[in-house]
Amino acid sequence: MAAGPTIKKIMDTYKGKIRLVIKNYPYQYRDYSHIAAEASLAARDQGKYWEMHDLLLKRSPKLDRESLIGYAKELGLDTNKFAASIDGKKHAQEIERDKKLATDMDIYNTPTIFINGRKVVGERPFEYFKKIIDEELKNEKKF
Amino acid sequence: MKKTMLVMAFFLLAVSASAEEKRYPVPLGDSPTLGPLDAPVTVVEFIDFQ
Repeated sequence: MAAGPTIKKIMDTYKGKIRLVIKNYPYQYRDYSHIAAEASLAARDQGKYWEMHDLLLKRSPKLDRESLIGYAKELGLDTNKFAASIDGKKHAQEIERDKKLATDMDIYNTPTIFINGRKVVGERPFEYFKKIIDEELKNEKKF
Repeated sequence: MKKTMLVMAFFLLAVSASAEEKRYPVPLGDSPTLGPLDAPVTVVEFIDFQ
């Protein structure tokens, strides 16, 4: 699960003042969680991470191998390279590193979001995030 | 006077509550990132696309 449209709105609202970093935390028992994470990083290798990221969120849960290759084609990626990457689990190590970080940090839900280190678990309305971000921006001005 | 004390107590409580908000350090590494690297606010999202 992801906070898709809410995160998008946050990034648009605070453009230039905010940075978004993605950690993969694919759930072990969902069919396409891992391959979708692989797909996002395979697209990154071809310079289209965010395009694929957005598309995956939009089309989820239709994330089987054939659909993913279709999305790669839609984004104009080299589909042979892309397929080889997801089939060969090229980014398994990076994904496992993120998963280990998540379990080390005692995270059990997605989305889990940290705003300057302040933890927000689960989906929340935009206003909830806005309040925290405005506080962070206000605090920043003190320095 | 009593009212003033109450208001003051409220503010003290509010200030200490936000100051004690726990912050978790999250190593960013070379994870996918969007927006200026020196932005005053960094949002880290742990995501599952499915």
